[in-house]
Amino acid sequence: MADVESISHSGICVHDLKEAEDFYCKVLGAETHSRVNFKTQDALRGRSIHTTLVLDDYLFAVMLSEDWMTIPDKKIIHGANRTRHAFCVPKARFATIIERLETHAVPFEGPKAHPEKGPFGESVYFRDPTGNFLEIIWRRDEDTPYNEVQALGHGGRGI
Amino acid sequence: MTQRTSIHEPIIEGIAFAIIEVSDIEASAGFYKKYLGLSNAPHDALPDDLSGSRSMALQCPSGQMLVLVERATPRCFPDTGVHLAYRASADARDAICQSLNGDAIPIEHYHEDRPAELDDNCYFADPDGNRIQIVIDASSDREQGVLGLDHGAIQASDLEWAEEFYIDQLGFQVDHRVGWKTSDYIRAQVWKDGKEDMAPGTRRLDQRYRDIPGGKPGQGRAVARPNMQVFLKMGSTALGLYLALSHEQEPSTDKIKGTPRIAYKTSRAALDHMAKNLKSSQGNFLGPEDIGNGTALYFRDPCGNFLELWCQKDS
Repeated sequence: MADVESISHSGICVHDLKEAEDFYCKVLGAETHSRVNFKTQDALRGRSIHTTLVLDDYLFAVMLSEDWMTIPDKKIIHGANRTRHAFCVPKARFATIIERLETHAVPFEGPKAHPEKGPFGESVYFRDPTGNFLEIIWRRDEDTPYNEVQALGHGGRGI
Repeated sequence: MTQRTSIHEPIIEGIAFAIIEVSDIEASAGFYKKYLGLSNAPHDALPDDLSGSRSMALQCPSGQMLVLVERATPRCFPDTGVHLAYRASADARDAICQSLNGDAIPIEHYHEDRPAELDDNCYFADPDGNRIQIVIDASSDREQGVLGLDHGAIQASDLEWAEEFYIDQLGFQVDHRVGWKTSDYIRAQVWKDGKEDMAPGTRRLDQRYRDIPGGKPGQGRAVARPNMQVFLKMGSTALGLYLALSHEQEPSTDKIKGTPRIAYKTSRAALDHMAKNLKSSQGNFLGPEDIGNGTALYFRDPCGNFLELWCQKDS
């Protein structure tokens, strides 16, 4: 077994922090946890500029890139620019997510069905305002516990 | 849970007066009279909390006032974004610059980040370093001196707290943000390369703390960055908030009336509304107090900047 067990959190680099916050909060329902570099102490420490967001139980940061990143043509909706973040939702909420994308005029591809014998159900693909590739997926095995969250303080292995 | 209520109309009608600290009141009064064309205000125009200090109220043609208060060590913040901007016609600005040039007083033509002030890049300092900006008022036909106070810029140690306060409590709206976009950082590099002259407080060289494992502050590479700023607006009134780049000792938290201070003109209804909001959010405030021909409400923002709402009696 590998020493690592799961993704703790991730960072998504963006070109416009406010635009990114608005997108992840208003379209995907994330909540702002904290911002870095809006306090004197952060500036004196030379910290990176980012906002930590919480999407259900997933912690991620939208990180402001201080240089222009190479972004694929915006006509490409389904892809990976090195990385694609796929967020999982229960099947029952999948249609709501698609409605929300439509409400906010976010171009998307899908829903696309995955093989029936696999764990994935359907996916919808879209991009954030910077152009990062994103996916929302529901899983056929959503009622099966896997990688159950363990109580804190023991390294995550229940020992 | 606080029970704040929102007010839909702008509660601020402009700056009523601004109080700045100076080390020599006669020298400073002479400066503002000579170069900006201010005149002595009526004797009873001084804010009551300054009655025990050496202070003087000067008046702009608009009726707005600049109040000077003498301190042994004036708090002026010359190396920061803090400043007061005055409105003047283009002709009057040229006359002011000519007069300053004649006395070898330096005039700066650096820029700020707010697009609305792109062409208003005329700055100089009073004898203590209080920074002054002249912005063009196309509607003014005065050929000499300034017309009035246009806007102020202050600094905050926590820009999120400050922004929330000015928007949620006072009803300002965001006019422009700096430091949230990659393009701001690209532009900061232009400044570092010496190709753009930017006003104090707008740029900074950050020492990246993680560049050297185990490194100490000052050992990392210096990265050019814009300093975080947010420009707020209500009606025709603007307020610049700059992130403070050093720790400043705040006045004692039980001090509600203090200087430097910006006093905004409002109506009695809006002043009462603000008092109610501050009370519901457990904010520290004093008033409303009847002072001379007006009523005042004193409070501080979360970062210790002194503020006042002032209305004329029977407004």
